[in-house]
Amino acid sequence: MPMLKLSALALGTGWFFWLFVFGPLYSHLPAQSAALAVALLWSYLRFGRRETISLLKFCLPFVAFLLAFGLIFHFTRLLGRQDWLEDTIVKCLVFPSSLTFLKIMLSYVTYLDILRLPLSMNRRIDMITVKSAFQKGSRALKRFSWYLNTYSGLKSRHRIRYAMTRYACLIIALYLFLYQEIENSNRLLKNRYRHLG
Amino acid sequence: MKIGGGSYTLSDRNLVLEIEAGFDLSGQRCRYILLGENGSGKTSFLEKILLPALDSHDVDYLYIGQDIRNQLYTLRALLATMGLSVIGAGERELLRVWAAHSPTAKVLIMDEFDKYFSDYEFMFEWTKTVIPLSFVVTHHDEPMRPRYEESTGRVCRVRFEPIGQDGRLKRVRIRQEQPCPC
Repeated sequence: MPMLKLSALALGTGWFFWLFVFGPLYSHLPAQSAALAVALLWSYLRFGRRETISLLKFCLPFVAFLLAFGLIFHFTRLLGRQDWLEDTIVKCLVFPSSLTFLKIMLSYVTYLDILRLPLSMNRRIDMITVKSAFQKGSRALKRFSWYLNTYSGLKSRHRIRYAMTRYACLIIALYLFLYQEIENSNRLLKNRYRHLG
Repeated sequence: MKIGGGSYTLSDRNLVLEIEAGFDLSGQRCRYILLGENGSGKTSFLEKILLPALDSHDVDYLYIGQDIRNQLYTLRALLATMGLSVIGAGERELLRVWAAHSPTAKVLIMDEFDKYFSDYEFMFEWTKTVIPLSFVVTHHDEPMRPRYEESTGRVCRVRFEPIGQDGRLKRVRIRQEQPCPC
């Protein structure tokens, strides 16, 4: 049963990426807008308003950065291309929709599903560790963002520089957190399993 | 600059904080010790009333939250983006470097810092030349009392006392113990 569920989730994810990220609907703006709207609605129903907004906020600096470069390339007609703006808008839609969709799909994978997989215990522990760390990570992200708002060393900088530095801090903090969290949880789980066995 | 006395409703925390006497934030040397049982609104007071008040007056501060282990990840990232070498730096060293590179901070706020460092006077030592005002949330101020008096002189103990329930809102009175020299 878990194999069936995980296969369906993998198939769904693959289908979404094949259709909207690499496949026939990639450059179709109305389809991309609809995909984003559906992903956000689904996220709203599954995780709530706060978490959906928080995810969008996380994407925002990247999307803004992408858009800024897209505009520059468009107006300078870089490499003689005329489609920079259209291509950029598509990317600005694809990034948040694919991230949201992936998050939704992964949220359906439970610890029990992982435990029932026909894999070695070490592999299952690795998967549990990653799932647990990423779950904690999404909760920690909000708190990290809150802390960064309290640091005067960041506040005093130029507005755009402030936004970029703050974003960089957020990514670094999250990376450090996940690294540490994965290492600790993995060690703990393997140790418990060894002594239970 | 002051946090005035009166009633403050924090709906998202289900709290009504009734501040009897206001808090003077004008920068005179003073240490406020916030005391009260768990869930009596000490952290909410800091995060929802004190910090926004300081932000609205552009007063820089050093805030150390209860979940310092999480906060340290952001501090390490912050110091790294400032070009400072923090590889392998321990928790205390990170805090020291942060304090040293926050010359504009005027208020030090520590929320249950003694959970991690039972003697936390080192934070005051590092910041005493630039930071006159501090807020400390603690459940055990007794062991540190002599140190406060010795290093600060002006200490004001503030009690958070639940006084009742108003629907889903918990009412808490915030009372300064006498005499309060701040």
